[in-house]
Amino acid sequence: MRLTEDDLYRTSTQYKHWSFTPSQLAAQRRTTNIQASERVKAAVARQRAQRSLLDASASESERAGSGVENGGDTPVRVDKEVNCLTVTEEKRLVDVFCARALDLGKFLKFPTEVTATGIQFLRRFYLFNSPMTYEPQTISPCAMFVANKVENHGLPLERYVAVLPNMTTDKVLAPEYLLVQGLRFNFQVRHPFNGLKGGHLEMIEMARGNANLLPNAEKTKEQLQQEMLQLPRKPNGPAQSLSVAQLEKRIENAYGFASIVLKGPAQLTDAYFLYTPSQIWFTAHLLADEPLTLFYLSAKVPTSPIHSKIISTLRSCADLLSSHSSYTTDQISKEEKVAREKKEKEEVSALIKKAKHCRDPDKIDLVKLNLAQKRDAVAGGSLEESKAKRRKLEREGYQKESDDFWGPELKKANGAKVA
Amino acid sequence: MSKPAHRAGGAPKAAVDSDICPVCKSSRYLNPNMKFLVNPECYHKMCESCVDRIFSHGPAPCPIAGCKRTLRKMRFREQTFEDLKVEREVDIRRRVAKVFNKREEDFETLKDYNDYLETVEEVTWNLILKIDVEATERRLRQFEEAQKAELNPNVARRETQSDSSAPSDASRVVLKKGATQRKALSASSGNTPNPYSSQDGTEDTGFTFRGLKKRTAPEPQKPFDPYSGWSVEPQFYILQDDYNVEWLTQSKNDIQHLAGGYNIKDFYSQALCEAFSGFGVFIEDEIVARDRQVSGDETLATQMAATAGTGAKDVRMDDVF
Repeated sequence: MRLTEDDLYRTSTQYKHWSFTPSQLAAQRRTTNIQASERVKAAVARQRAQRSLLDASASESERAGSGVENGGDTPVRVDKEVNCLTVTEEKRLVDVFCARALDLGKFLKFPTEVTATGIQFLRRFYLFNSPMTYEPQTISPCAMFVANKVENHGLPLERYVAVLPNMTTDKVLAPEYLLVQGLRFNFQVRHPFNGLKGGHLEMIEMARGNANLLPNAEKTKEQLQQEMLQLPRKPNGPAQSLSVAQLEKRIENAYGFASIVLKGPAQLTDAYFLYTPSQIWFTAHLLADEPLTLFYLSAKVPTSPIHSKIISTLRSCADLLSSHSSYTTDQISKEEKVAREKKEKEEVSALIKKAKHCRDPDKIDLVKLNLAQKRDAVAGGSLEESKAKRRKLEREGYQKESDDFWGPELKKANGAKVA
Repeated sequence: MSKPAHRAGGAPKAAVDSDICPVCKSSRYLNPNMKFLVNPECYHKMCESCVDRIFSHGPAPCPIAGCKRTLRKMRFREQTFEDLKVEREVDIRRRVAKVFNKREEDFETLKDYNDYLETVEEVTWNLILKIDVEATERRLRQFEEAQKAELNPNVARRETQSDSSAPSDASRVVLKKGATQRKALSASSGNTPNPYSSQDGTEDTGFTFRGLKKRTAPEPQKPFDPYSGWSVEPQFYILQDDYNVEWLTQSKNDIQHLAGGYNIKDFYSQALCEAFSGFGVFIEDEIVARDRQVSGDETLATQMAATAGTGAKDVRMDDVF
């Protein structure tokens, strides 16, 4: 009855429900896209049919020519087929809003974990829901707020709303249940940040020559330290000999770079779906200092079948992380950077514009939909408006009284108060 | 009516007897609240005031002529059954049943159980009919002690120790007796053989029953293990007592953390565990293997989703709106 670290990870919801192979991930996105576009088309067709019933008296030419006002903000050409987003466009859109969420986290001075959790919530939510159905603009503030609660950061809603422009508490809270349900109530997101710290601690101790070795280790502590001091700077580079202090500096630099990779590219790609947090931080460290990481890995897993498998997994993860545009921002020249940003901006604005044209008309006003779910909802039609209002007043009065020192007044038996 | 004592006949005579105390001869006619009590030692009836009068200063011999038993006030009680023979039998049966409390599942075969029941009945009738009472009583006691010892050896050992120091029931009763009686009793109790060891060395349990299963004391409770035997044993690292890095020194010595019971070692173990949890988990292999068990043809799922997409509901989630 012994559990290894891997078994512990296998018990997590991240492994159980939110880990996919690349093909599964693509298939799921395709499924979501197909579903959402079918629904958007059906909803638009229904609306048109309704309107054509209403406008039966209007002339044919007028109907064909004019744009149809639909709730005020979704102009849809009547006779045009709705141009839905493709899978890649959807993914791009989600990525854009994940990047924006990263900036939002920086702006709100959230700790890394909170922002990262919020981004993962967004990514998970949009794996099963399409941006066509639920706008990322409305979901992302809510996801960040839920992450703020989940990670115990504890920024109150009022303050959160106050710092954001054009934001109300209703807007944040309306999609909350929807989001949480979309996350299947799996709130825990396992991040690689703490793991990186743990690995860093061990590497430092190894460099000082007093790391505890695994029982099956072949080398002594001193041997490890000596080999570590002679590690080349670059893969396949010439061996060098550092002092212990220099080596520690090297490890710290690698840590710094790796944590930047974890905060940026690791969040903005599908790494969390495809790899485990442990593999992600190893990859980030690999990108930072390859000889050092490989040496550390070989000290942990001496040549065995699992060793080569881990290396290949890390390499593929490294390809994924380094393929992201934010990974290379520091390496390119300034002009190039500006040009790229400009190009990206144009792409994104075009994408958002397109997304606006193919939104699901049923799900546009989440605040109103949320209100309709609530108990004083008038829209349901089951209660008359005056009756609902009276009930609401009564309840509010009662609540106010119950806040009094002696509590609310007791109901009289003879019905004196009831009348 | 006026002189019920002169009447003849069975039933009326019993009524008369019950209305007059055989010790003080006072009748219910004079004292309507009179209550009769019996002592299970000899089952002689007497009125409450007589019991108070004779036995309130300690144990005393029964006042009925011919009965020399020593009675104690505490054990007097009202009789439950009108027939004193029945009362006595019920008492005896109750006592025997307390000692012989075996059930059918304690025996290996039904025949053994029936034999046991027969022996019990025999003992009971011996006591009821006063045949061989002394020997039977002794064996009964021995059996009871043996049972107790079997169930909990410590209790039996403790009792034998306390017996030697504190005066027993019998010796206390002797205090009020005459000198000759006392002498005789002390002589007999002085050389009573130890009931636990018979001559051949094996313990004499009074009765032996064939096919009786050995009683085993329940196992002592084990200390509670909240993890029910599970433990985490890392395979990729061995935790050190301390890690010296610069960015940890501040929180290591922070008085606020220390006062709150925060232990830096918890951080070490968590960080190291997180560093390697999932290290050897290859999602590509494992998830596919897992999903294959659950069943799920992807193309089929996509088709189904496309058909379901026309409906208003999501396939995998209930829509709140």
